[in-house]
Amino acid sequence: MKQARNGRLALSRRSVLLGGAALGGALAMPSIVRAANEEIVFATWGGSWEEAMRTAWFDPFTAKTGIKVKTISGNTYGKIEAMVKAGRTEWDVVETLPDFQWVGAEKGLLEPIDFSVVDKSLVMPGEDMVTTYSIPQVLFAEVMTYNTKLDPPPQGWADLYDTKTFPGNRVFDGDDVQATMESALLADGVAPASLYPLDVDRALKKLTTIRDQAMFFETNAQGEQFMSDGQAVMGMLPDGRAINIRNNGAPVQIQYNATIMTWSTMVIIKGAPNLTAAQKFLAYTLTPEAQAAIAMAYTYGPVVPKALDLIPPERAKILTGGPEMKGKAILRGEKWWSQNLAAATEKFNAWKLG
Amino acid sequence: MMSSPAGLRRTTRSATTFFLLLPGLVVLAGMFILPVAQLVIDSFSDPAGALVHYQRIAVVPVYLLVLARTFLISAITAALCLLLGFPIAYRLAHSGPRVKAIILLCIFLSFWTNLLVRAFSWMVLLNPNGIFSQALAFIGLGDQIKLVYNTTGVLIGQTQILLPYMILPLAAVMSRVDPTLMNAARSLGASPTRAFLAVYIPLVKSGALAGSVLVFALSLGSFVIPALLGGPRDMFLAQLIEFNINNTLNLPFASALATVLLAATIVLYWIGDRWFGLGQVWGGR
Repeated sequence: MKQARNGRLALSRRSVLLGGAALGGALAMPSIVRAANEEIVFATWGGSWEEAMRTAWFDPFTAKTGIKVKTISGNTYGKIEAMVKAGRTEWDVVETLPDFQWVGAEKGLLEPIDFSVVDKSLVMPGEDMVTTYSIPQVLFAEVMTYNTKLDPPPQGWADLYDTKTFPGNRVFDGDDVQATMESALLADGVAPASLYPLDVDRALKKLTTIRDQAMFFETNAQGEQFMSDGQAVMGMLPDGRAINIRNNGAPVQIQYNATIMTWSTMVIIKGAPNLTAAQKFLAYTLTPEAQAAIAMAYTYGPVVPKALDLIPPERAKILTGGPEMKGKAILRGEKWWSQNLAAATEKFNAWKLG
Repeated sequence: MMSSPAGLRRTTRSATTFFLLLPGLVVLAGMFILPVAQLVIDSFSDPAGALVHYQRIAVVPVYLLVLARTFLISAITAALCLLLGFPIAYRLAHSGPRVKAIILLCIFLSFWTNLLVRAFSWMVLLNPNGIFSQALAFIGLGDQIKLVYNTTGVLIGQTQILLPYMILPLAAVMSRVDPTLMNAARSLGASPTRAFLAVYIPLVKSGALAGSVLVFALSLGSFVIPALLGGPRDMFLAQLIEFNINNTLNLPFASALATVLLAATIVLYWIGDRWFGLGQVWGGR
């Protein structure tokens, strides 16, 4: 998918390549033979994230309800559209980035959430976190990461673009046009509250000031490498990745003053074969217990504030949306991006070529 | 008309040929031609007008620039493959079985290695702390030459990955060259260089063209290498197609981009056929 994050929303291009074969398989599969007892099919981002969900969510859910959770990885938007258009929906639940809650709904690819089953009152306040067709799953963020040799350490957005005081390369996720542009505007003095509608031209003008120092990584592993070996002195990394390299002894620190937070969502695909069971599953994932369990298994933050009461303080400290980020993280305007990503990316690509 | 025995035989033979080709043609039609036709149709069927996607491609400066870049880098890649592949193919074609086996092993070892693994290996080898950069630094060029995350990196990666597609057709043609022809040229007074240029090169030209077309065409659709080893400027059209499918779910526009790439490739092939006789590579005319 588009955004890179602790190895989960990893590497759009690679997942396309790997997923290509899976697509053929998924569509050619002569309707999945279903067990006699109830189950749902959940298309995930795969990898260690899926394993975490298996222990934190799927197994307890099955124990409680008897509904099994079958997973398929390679959940790209293109596949969902192909599946629904062919009238052969084989997935029930899909985890996606928030833009899909509008893009998918507009294209008629989603089933409405049954809010008599799913309790949305538990969800943290935040614009568009719950829609007719989606519920939030977990929080994640891009945080400013810097090399510890920088003395004094950078304090915030402005320093990311101040190559006089802090010479050296800057890393950005090449696929994350959003964070790159947002960081430019915030560094240019735009107040977080008036970030959207985003002034794309102004963002690119600011980016031009660091054109020769900007490095765009294609995979998270690359971004980690750039920061760990000192090829770059500062940059925006997914928070889990930054914590990961810091724990592995890389000379880096995190400046939470520059944090952009967003979330992943879960949706139900139009024509889902196990609609009722899927609604029950979504309801389960929003319970404080389930949200705390997933935050213990992975460093994504809970979208249900009550879950933080169930999490030990030293764990909460490293979670997205935890106490370290409180009052600092800016919640991304996903709705604006869902309507403007294509046009903004076009301009961003032109800038890259220029 | 076909009453004579010879004519009858010819009819039978062409019928046999047809039936032998049929399975291949059916697969090609069903798995390739139909989907591509559908893709082209999709790109023209927008409620806002048949040409909206093409207008966007023409008006927004990004797309044609990226297309031109895709073609330019692919052409340079083909030239580099020819330059590097020619001597290897020559050795492969004109050596004893032992040398041949070693060369083939080297080619296939790289050929069989996963593309992503090779891309990541290049990232390790070419990065500023890698052995190549350190070797360059040792001879005093370390700061001037950047090997990766720029066009240099793309060309190195593309050339290595596509080199076998140049070597194999070239060596196949070279091994069919009759060695006595070179001896004849020498005995008629040609210098070794002259004999090579006037006799050998024309004989292997078709192999060089076939290899170049193959490398060029494969390079046009490249995705992984430019994405991983290139810099911000090194975008290939395939990357923009992928973005429009998976990030904005705009399949018709992605189809239009793919159609433009296909059309540009066909036009280029047609030019090559007209002026450089590419058709003969595949045994035509």
